Formats: sequence, C-alpha cells, structure tokens
Amino acid sequence: MIQITDLEKFYKTEEVQTIALNKLSFNVKEGEFVAIMGPSGCGKSTLLNILGLLDDPDGGSFMFNGTEVAGYNERKRSELRKHNIGFVFQSFNLIDELTVFENVELPLIYTGVKPAERKQQVEAVLEKMQIMHRRNHFPQQLSGGQQQRVAVARAVVNKPKLILADEPTGNLDSTNGNEVMDLLIDLNEAGTTIIMVTHSEHDAKYSHRIIRMLDGQKVTENILA
Amino acid sequence: MILNYIKIAFRTLRKNKGYSFLNIFGLAIGITCASLIFLWVEDEVSFDSDFSKQDQVYYVPTHQEYDGEWRTFNSTPGPFAEAMKAEIPGIVKASRTKHRDFLFAVNDNAINSGGRFVDEDFITIFSLKFVEGYAKEAFNNPEAIVITQETAEQLYGKNTKVLGKVLKVDNTDNYLITGVIENLPKNVTFPINWIAPFERWSGDKEWTNGYGSFFADTFVELSPEADFNAVNDQVLGLLEKKTGDSDSKAFLHSIKDWHLRGNFENGKQVGGRIDSVRLFTIIALIILLIACINFMNLSTARSEKRANEVGVRKAMGSGRSRLIFQFISEALILSFIATLVSVLLLFILLPQFNLLIERNLVLGLAEPLHIIFLLGITLVCGVFAGLYPAFYLSSFNPVEVLKGLKVTQGSATFIRKGLVVGQFTISIVFIICTILVYQQIQHVKNRDLGFDKDQLISLNVNGTMIEKFDVIKQDLIHTGAVSSVGLNNSGILNGGNNGSNLTWTGGTDTEDILIFFRYISSDFLETAGMKLAEGRGFSENVAKDSSSVLITESFAKLMGTGSAIGKKVIRDDTYTVIGVVKDYLFEDMYGQSDPVLFFNYLGESSYMYLKTNPNIEPNEMLSKVEAVMKKHNPAFPFEYSFVDDAFNAKFRSEQLIGKLSQLFALLAILISCLGLFGLAAYTAEQRSKEIGVRKVLGASVAGIVKLLSKDFLKLVGLSIVIAIPMAWYVIDNWLQNYAYRIEINWWIFVIAGFVAIVIAMITVSFQAIKAALANPVDSLKTE
Repeated sequence: MIQITDLEKFYKTEEVQTIALNKLSFNVKEGEFVAIMGPSGCGKSTLLNILGLLDDPDGGSFMFNGTEVAGYNERKRSELRKHNIGFVFQSFNLIDELTVFENVELPLIYTGVKPAERKQQVEAVLEKMQIMHRRNHFPQQLSGGQQQRVAVARAVVNKPKLILADEPTGNLDSTNGNEVMDLLIDLNEAGTTIIMVTHSEHDAKYSHRIIRMLDGQKVTENILA
Repeated sequence: MILNYIKIAFRTLRKNKGYSFLNIFGLAIGITCASLIFLWVEDEVSFDSDFSKQDQVYYVPTHQEYDGEWRTFNSTPGPFAEAMKAEIPGIVKASRTKHRDFLFAVNDNAINSGGRFVDEDFITIFSLKFVEGYAKEAFNNPEAIVITQETAEQLYGKNTKVLGKVLKVDNTDNYLITGVIENLPKNVTFPINWIAPFERWSGDKEWTNGYGSFFADTFVELSPEADFNAVNDQVLGLLEKKTGDSDSKAFLHSIKDWHLRGNFENGKQVGGRIDSVRLFTIIALIILLIACINFMNLSTARSEKRANEVGVRKAMGSGRSRLIFQFISEALILSFIATLVSVLLLFILLPQFNLLIERNLVLGLAEPLHIIFLLGITLVCGVFAGLYPAFYLSSFNPVEVLKGLKVTQGSATFIRKGLVVGQFTISIVFIICTILVYQQIQHVKNRDLGFDKDQLISLNVNGTMIEKFDVIKQDLIHTGAVSSVGLNNSGILNGGNNGSNLTWTGGTDTEDILIFFRYISSDFLETAGMKLAEGRGFSENVAKDSSSVLITESFAKLMGTGSAIGKKVIRDDTYTVIGVVKDYLFEDMYGQSDPVLFFNYLGESSYMYLKTNPNIEPNEMLSKVEAVMKKHNPAFPFEYSFVDDAFNAKFRSEQLIGKLSQLFALLAILISCLGLFGLAAYTAEQRSKEIGVRKVLGASVAGIVKLLSKDFLKLVGLSIVIAIPMAWYVIDNWLQNYAYRIEINWWIFVIAGFVAIVIAMITVSFQAIKAALANPVDSLKTE
C-alpha cells in the first residue's frame, strides 16, 4: 500500500539546516499494523505527517496505492487524504466548539456525504466506540479516554484504508490507553492498515512490525507477528 | 455545511463573550454611524426630486459684474421671463415670481403664510395638481388665489369646500379662492403655501416693467427636445441684447442643482451643500473602515485559539477555499448581528440625531432602499472585515498547528500594528479637526461685528407701525423693558438693498462699485449699538436731514483721504455726508465690511429693532412689548425674533460640521479603543507565562504594566506623527473657505496627541494591570 524510497525532509531555520528524514525507505502492506519508535527528534512525526499527506517530502519517492504522491499540491493531497486516511493524535485535537456527534461528522461533511446517511454512519461508529450516550456533549465535558475514543471514531467514520496514530495513548492513563489500543486492534483485524508512532514499548507490542528510527534513518526492524 | 458554520460561529461567539461584544459593538457603532449619515444624505439628495420635470425645469439667476468680480444674485428683471419665452425657441414656459408673507384671516383664525405671486406658467412648470378648481381657469380672475390643501385645512378645517370663498389678506385685501392644490413635497428649495397672479402685486409698480431692477425669481421650463447648452447660451446673451450692458448675464440653474450646488464664485459654480454631503459620506466610510479594522485585528490576534481547529479541519480534508468560506461566513454572521444591534441603536439615537442636525429623518425600515442599504452594509462589512482574517487563518500549516507549535505571527503582527496605527491616525485627525472647527466658529462668533447683537430683537413692520412709530416708541420705552427703538428697511444681518451707478466726491470710476443702501430712523444706530467714527447721526426731525446721508468707514475710504464730512454723494439727488459710522458686518460674517450708505427715511422700513433692558426677564419683556404692539397694531399677530438667534443661524452649516465632527471624533475614538482594549487583552493573555516568570523573578507590578503598555503607546505615538500633517492639510484646506479665519496653533496638536495617549493608556493599562496583578502560579501551571 505504501512504498517510500529515499525519503528526505529538511527543516531550515535562519542559521542551521536540520535533517529530519535522511533517505528513509520502507514498505507497508495493506492490512498491516506498523509501529514506529525512536527518541524525540528522530523524525517519527515528520514521517507521519508525510505519510498523512499533511506535508510534502523534499526528496525521494512516496507511492500511495501505486501512485506517486510526492510533489502533489495541497488540493490533490487534501482530496486523497479525506477519502483514504484517518488521524488519531496524542492531544486528541477535537474542535471545542463542536459536540461529539459533530466532531465525528466532520470528515463525512468534507467528503460530501448526505445528511441522513451521515447521521446513520456517525451513530453506528459512536455505538461501536461506546460513546453514543455522550453524543451531545462537548469535548471539555469528557474524560481523556472518552475524548480519544471520539477522536478514533472520527478517524474511522469515513472507513479509511489507512489510520495514522501519533502516540494515541500518550495523554492517557494505562486503563484508558489499553482501551484505545484494543480499538485499534479491532480496526486492524477488520482490515484497516495502521501506522502508529509511539514511545511505549507496551503499545508497540500490539503491532505486527516495529520500525526503530534514529536521526531520520531506519536503524532496525522487528517483525512480531 | 453552512449550518455547521453557523453553529460553530454562534458557539464561538458565546464562548468568547467579551471578544464577541467588542467585535459586534464596534461594528454596530460603525454601521449606526454610516446609517445616520446615509439617512441625512438621502434627505439632502431628495430635495426637489419629487417634481416630475427634472430635466426641464430651471431657475434663472444672474451673474453681475462689480469691480471686475462677478457676483451671483437670485433675481432677474421683470420682463425677462416673457422675453426668454418669446425669443428662445427651447423655452416653452416661463414665470416671474415674487415671494411674500401673507397674513390670512378667517374669522378669528389668523396665520402667516409664505407664498408667491406668479405667472400662470408656474402651475405647469411645477406640475401643481388641483384638488379643487381647474388649473386652466385658476388665474382667470385678477383677484384669484390658489392655496395648498394644508393651508385650506388650517384656515377652514378639514373636509371643507373652499372654492369660491373670499379670503382676507393682511386685513386689507380680498382674494378669491379659485383652486386648491396638493401640498408640495416635504423637501423643496422654494416652498409655497399659495400662489396668486403676478400682476396683483406688480400692477401698481411701474418699475417692475423695465430692465432697471433685478427683483424677480424666474423659473422656466425647456421643451423635452431642447438642447440645454444651446438654450443656456442664448439666455446668457439675452440680457445684454435687451440692455446693451455686458455686466449682467442670466443663466439656467437646473432644478437638480438647486439644493446641493447653489454656490457661485466669480460666475462659476463652486458646489454648495454637496461638499458637506461628500465630506460626510467619506467620514461614514472612514468610520466603517475603523470598525472593520477592529474586526480584523481581534480575529487575527486570537487566531492561536482557532489554529487547532484549522489544523484539524485541514487534516480531515478541508481545502483552503472551504476554510476561507467558513471564516467569511462567520464574519457575515457577526456583521449581521451587528446590523441588528445598530437598528436598535438607530431607534434610540435617531431622535437625538434629528435634534442635532435640525431635521426630521425617519428610519423607514419598510422602504426597500433602506433594507437594501442595511443588507448591503452587512455584506460589505462582513466580507471586507472577514477577508483578511479568513486568508490569514486558512493559511496555517496543519503540521505546525497540530504539533502545538506557536503560530508565527510575524506578518500578521505587523499588519495588525499597521491597522492600529491607521485607526488612531484617523481618530487623532478627527480630534484635531474638531478642535479647530470649534475654534473657527468661536473665532467668527466673537468677532467685533460693529454692532451689538445682544438684547436686540426685531419685529416685522406691518399695518400701521410706521405711521404710529413715535407713539409706539414712546410706549415701549415707557414700559421700562426697552431702552431704544429704531427702524430699518433691511435686516441688520442681511445684505439687502444695493446698487451701483453712484458718484461721490473724491472717487474715481465710482459707477462700478456696489453700495448697500439703508433707510433708517434717527435712533437706529443707537439701538443697534453702532458707533460713529466722526460727525453726527441723523436728527429726530426727518425733514431736517432729508438730504443728509451717513456712510460707513469703508465707504469713507472710497472718498479718499481727509474727513468725509461735508463730501457729496450723488444718487439721482445730491446728498451731504454728515457722519461716518464704524464698519459693521452683514450677510457674510466671514468676509469684509461692504460700504453702506444710510438715508434718513422711514417709508421703506421693514424691520423695527428694539434694544431691550437686560435686567428684565425675557418673558416679562416680551409680554410688555406685545401689549404695546397689540394696542397700536391690533390686526397683526405679534411676531419677533432675537438678532443673536438669527446670527447663530448664520453658522448653521458650520455648526453642523462642528457638531458632527465632534460626534464622529468621539465614535472613532470609541471604536478604536474597543479594538485596542481587545488587543491588549489578548496580548496580556499571550504573554501571561512571560509575565508569570518575570513576577517570580521579582518584577514589580508597575514594571509589568509598563512592559505591556509600552508597545501600544509607541503605536499611538506613531499615529500622532502621521496624523498631524494630515490634519493640518485637511483643516488648512477647509479654512481657505473663510476670509476671516484662525491661525492653526501648534498647541492644538499637542493637546490632541496628549488626549489620544491618555485615552490609549487608560484602555491598555486596564488590561495590563489585570495581567500584572494575576497570580503567577496560575499562568505557569497551565503549561
């Protein structure tokens, strides 16, 4: 599903140029659950942003479902993104002014789903995440675990082929963290490809494969399953 | 989708009540202000617009040359109307007219009513509609009079047929009502309550038949096919053709220009009220601009709060254009709410505004034009104010904002600072202009007029007031309420009767000089408080001084050096100068004193002036005067006016500008401060962590207030620097309109700058003190 070859990304400030990704290459097959680990600043998040089509690489190739997407403009990326990719963030990133239902509904609005159908799909996913009873609450009225469940619901409501999770349990206690990981496993078992960035060895063990990075390069790759 | 935006907009508003209030209130003030000006402009523009023949009706004034300069007068010779109609093919209708105030009396019901003696064509020119009688027959009877419905109702009550009734005028003449016409529209330059055949007035005045006297207001109607320029060229040449003199030229003045473009200078049209209309339209736009700037500033300043939302929406697949659309929709919703608030404000403020500008404007929310205006202003404000924030907010990079990186506000901060400077520059310009306009008005009002306008009242001369002048005077003085009484043929403040073709001792080319004539009683000078520079005044014995004249100093200068006493002035007869009166001002209070020639003659008197006793209450004084007038002139209602009121009325348009610029300066400052207040609040919030750290490290409250206020004060300082030359330029231009004007003092700018700084400081320091007093523990633990 994903093939990246010699991917490069630089950050420039006035005085120094930092290499975030240094000729990074790996593949992810459809249905895989890949964990990416490494110390702060090793380029994990940069990689995830590029994989999520939020950011553009400075060099190398990025094939998504057999199409070269490196160099796509914002419009094309946005189009591809909204149909194929769901995001789960460490800090949830729910919109405070929208209710649980409306937050989850958002991706469907952007893909142009009809209101009646939207309602059905949102309710189904809320039901599945067991937060239906909170549908009219605002994010601030929920616990961290509940907020992340809403975020996961939002990520999957569009039935994306790929879910990118950026330390999904980073802001949660272990009980809530495990619940979220269980949700991801369920999704993966149902066929969704998942790429997760994490600091937690515990969480990484849920995956099929762990890619370890340092200074923008892949250092090891452990296959777990 | 739209629903989603509306929802989020309302929730954002509710969640940030303070911010929403500042934004909506600021914009609402701007819209209110623009609406008030719109209503006023609409009223101004509507003058004479209800008459149907907008492209065909013209008034005929004349340019006349005196001393190489062309002055413009609202008068033409009697036979000119007929001559134009007969000799200029494009002119199909023409009417002489003469304005008069009538006293109508029906039983005990007496009213004063202004109207015109006119030629029959007048009816067609103004498309007067008859509700009783017929236009064609109305002027068949030489004693005819046609009155408006309103006048008919005032005299005879509602629903009374008045056709054929005989109407007593000035208690002496009988007029036959031959028609009733619909009331004229509200805003007309030449209002009338009645019309009567011109000959009724001119019949016994032989001089109205020649070209020697300019006295008639003349109106013409052009045929629809006529070429204006061709017709006007012929009108311009016709007076010379008739009189052989090239120093008088009549011209056509379109009905569309009567109200707004009525000023002429040296034979050229130089605007008029249109200048004020333009000025205030620009001011309205500027105030709206300030209000929109507030919106932009507050929206971009708090963008960090929205940054996360932008990031999420982009990650979810929203394109930039959708976000732009969303933010503009939000701005539109906000500006719509602001419009609703401003309609409320208008309801409250319009009566006050009407008092201020002495008009009777109505809100008229049912009028399509007003609805369109409000919707238009909502749209323009929303889109204009929302555009920059929308582009700015939607440009955020989702990667950065979702990572929680601080949005780098470099360009936005710069633009925001620029906008604050813009706002304050405008506000300071307004403050400076307000002070200077006020100064200029006071300057002229306190000018030495050459007479004493205080405690001076004027009565219109009518009935038997001239014959009984001596007894009236005696009785008035006897009451103790009046110390002196004098007669004059002309209002003391008015230009009035004038002419040229005089000769006098010591003058050359005297025929071209325009001299103003006054026919006064001997005690007029004392009554008006005018002073003699040399010689003596008229004696009480009119016969003794029948060939004596008084002149003003500026006339004396025309006679060369040395005493003017004993010199001769020839105007048909020869008169001897017996006294020189100190120059006094009339007509144009900003101008120079024109030369005046006084005759000792009561027969032409139109005004009786009374110098009243300042120690007696005005009401008591008036009732005493009224008693005397009722006794000697019982047939006429007692009507009076205070000269200082009339004097103040001369400054109406300046005072309007003065009052409005005060109002707008206040509003501009208010709106700017709302914006500054909001910005200060956000700056304090943004820097709360820094403030916390500084406090922990030992910074004082004063030190932190200074830290937070400094940046804003720098901006205000910059505004002052920019505003001073702008204000100087604007006000210097305005002052050029006045011959008698103030010098622009540097300390005005110091005061204005000081005021701006103090206001800004109060606004900012409120937030700064709040931030400085906050417990640093709270701001530090949030991280």
